[in-house]
Amino acid sequence: MALFDQRPAYAHEPTVAPIEHRFSPYSDNGGTILAIAGADFAVIAGDTRQSEGYSIQTRYARKVWQLTDNATLATNGFAADGKNFVKRVKQRLEWYEHAHHKPMGLKAIARMIQTMLYGRRFFPYYVYNILGGIEEDGTGAVYSFDPVGSYEREACRAAGAAQSLVQPFLDNQIYFKNQTPAPGAEAFVPGRLPMATVLGLVVDSFTSATERHIEVGDGLEMYVVMKEGRQTTDLTDEGQLPAGMKVEELGSMGEGRGEKTFLVSMPLKRD
Amino acid sequence: MFLTRSEYDRGVNTFSPEGRLFQVEYAMEAIKLGSTTVGITTPHGVILAVEKRVPSPLIESSSIEKIMEIDAHVGCAMSGLTADARTMVDHARVTSQMHAFTYDEKIGVESCTQAVCDLALRFGESVEDDDALMSRPFGVALLIAGIDEKGPQLYHTDPSGTFTRYDAKAIGSGSDAAQQSLQDAYHRQMTLEEAAGLALKVLKQVMEEKLDENNVQLARVTPEKGFQILAEAELKERIEAIAA
Amino acid sequence: MEYNGGSVVAMIGKDCVAIASDLRLGQQSVGVAMNFEKVFPVNDKLYYGLPGLATDVYTLREQLRFRVNMYRMKEEREITPKTFTHLLSSTLYEKRFGPYFLEPVVAGLTTPTELEPKPKPFISTMDTIGCITTPKDFAVAGTAQDKLYGMAEGLWEPDLEPEDLFETISQTLLNAVDRDALSGWGAIVHVITHDKVITRQLRSRMD
Repeated sequence: MALFDQRPAYAHEPTVAPIEHRFSPYSDNGGTILAIAGADFAVIAGDTRQSEGYSIQTRYARKVWQLTDNATLATNGFAADGKNFVKRVKQRLEWYEHAHHKPMGLKAIARMIQTMLYGRRFFPYYVYNILGGIEEDGTGAVYSFDPVGSYEREACRAAGAAQSLVQPFLDNQIYFKNQTPAPGAEAFVPGRLPMATVLGLVVDSFTSATERHIEVGDGLEMYVVMKEGRQTTDLTDEGQLPAGMKVEELGSMGEGRGEKTFLVSMPLKRD
Repeated sequence: MFLTRSEYDRGVNTFSPEGRLFQVEYAMEAIKLGSTTVGITTPHGVILAVEKRVPSPLIESSSIEKIMEIDAHVGCAMSGLTADARTMVDHARVTSQMHAFTYDEKIGVESCTQAVCDLALRFGESVEDDDALMSRPFGVALLIAGIDEKGPQLYHTDPSGTFTRYDAKAIGSGSDAAQQSLQDAYHRQMTLEEAAGLALKVLKQVMEEKLDENNVQLARVTPEKGFQILAEAELKERIEAIAA
Repeated sequence: MEYNGGSVVAMIGKDCVAIASDLRLGQQSVGVAMNFEKVFPVNDKLYYGLPGLATDVYTLREQLRFRVNMYRMKEEREITPKTFTHLLSSTLYEKRFGPYFLEPVVAGLTTPTELEPKPKPFISTMDTIGCITTPKDFAVAGTAQDKLYGMAEGLWEPDLEPEDLFETISQTLLNAVDRDALSGWGAIVHVITHDKVITRQLRSRMD
């Protein structure tokens, strides 16, 4: 090779040149989350893949967290920020319970999350949050947030890598957008669908997203928060759940009003 | 008696060998010099009533404020060095607003009371780098009345930072006699009107001057309308009603 | 692609295909026209859609009209969907290093012949330089592409009859373009069957 090397002799000398290193405090770990409210329940779901660029870091990373008996939080975006944020929220929930001798209500958690996020307005948690659960009046509720704390109560919301795939589907199936009731039929009311229908839509949303988005897949975790008085059999009965689901009842976390939270999980495609 | 205390009654943060903080105890004495203040809880709301001392006919009696709003659902009445109460009420108001801002819900009456009491013991010699502390204990006691999801409640706070919940409580110069009258007349199923009447009657008993709409202030906290200080006209009606 | 906006979707049904587009023409965020069709007929069994840069839509449409007419005269028969796809592909590849900013979608039915007595409904799509894919279910393209994927993946099922296919493609398109700022402003749907083409304009939200 030396035969062809036309470079002058000094070019072989080691040289010192400044190399610029820049630390980036954020990354995007993919994945998608979704929550839908029913009349007296809420489903909060997320896939379990965690990736960076084209590599999968793990096929099982949690994105959905049970906070109290009546609230469950899903986080999506930068996983490290997400985990830390949930830790801080849980700490605040404990402090609140000590100070006020009651568990924090869903609406209060939502507002607290907004103040926590806005508190980091100029170095934000790079996280999209969706909070779901049972409101103090017993209705199922979903609150969605942007990374700096803008929030809203809704009947459903998708966020994350496949938001653009899932949200229009939810607009159509949950908000009945572009649909008109048959003449004489009852008007459509969002947030009133039966649990079996909602779970079916969640599964369809994630299998669709898995099919078309590389950052979504591996596993699906759906947290179902049910108002007091609803039975475990509402979930486990024949026809309530699509086939191949694992159902686990999560124990009470404190003095709620008898709300129940279930973790329903299933595998998603791994390719 | 004073000789024995002389070594320990100066430092506000020094215990006596018997384990007492004399300055705090003296502060409690200051309250017993204050005007009589009464609070009564009913299932339908809470009543607060205070005596306003008007030592000169040239005083504009409406400028004496002894009942203050903390939040839409909490109010308080005071006895003792009322100027000190401003600091406490101000702190309670800020705490209530911060709670509503942070949690989108009304603060609990107990939490609000606790916030006031957190201030009570922040006195003593300030250390460098420390926020300015107060030089002496508060010389005022409060009756904090409010309604939250636990229902109507009445709390009493004193300069030691202790708070206690009461069905009915009297503080100030006439408190001993007033408390006894309350104990005799109080029952748990009182209506709000009965409670207002009782509060005025108790004040009337212990006041030296003749009770009228200028030397007494009355307030109520109800689930429907929250905290309200009664206007002079309504106060007058109620005073006439108990006189009859 | 984002300069003028617009989206196209095609779907396979039972012995039928459907192709639909929105009607918006914009200049970036400014809406300009609400009657800009992006789907054109080749014959009564074959339609294609050209979402992308509007100027290229006209140019390529005329280019294709010319080439299909030449094909029809030389061959004395109608072009099949498969052949048309390859004609379109090679036309795009001619501009390999200065491409048309278009992502075409083709949908058509093949007339049965002795060699192929039961031809399947056909759709295809390609990138800006003519790389072909021939899906068995649906094809989507345009500024609402990812939304269309999500909708279609959720709504489509095999062997839909023409009226059901119409409903499916309409819901897919409308709900996708409603979440896309650059597509919408009305829509048009063509359902191609062996004996007729059903064309319907859809009313949608105009924001």
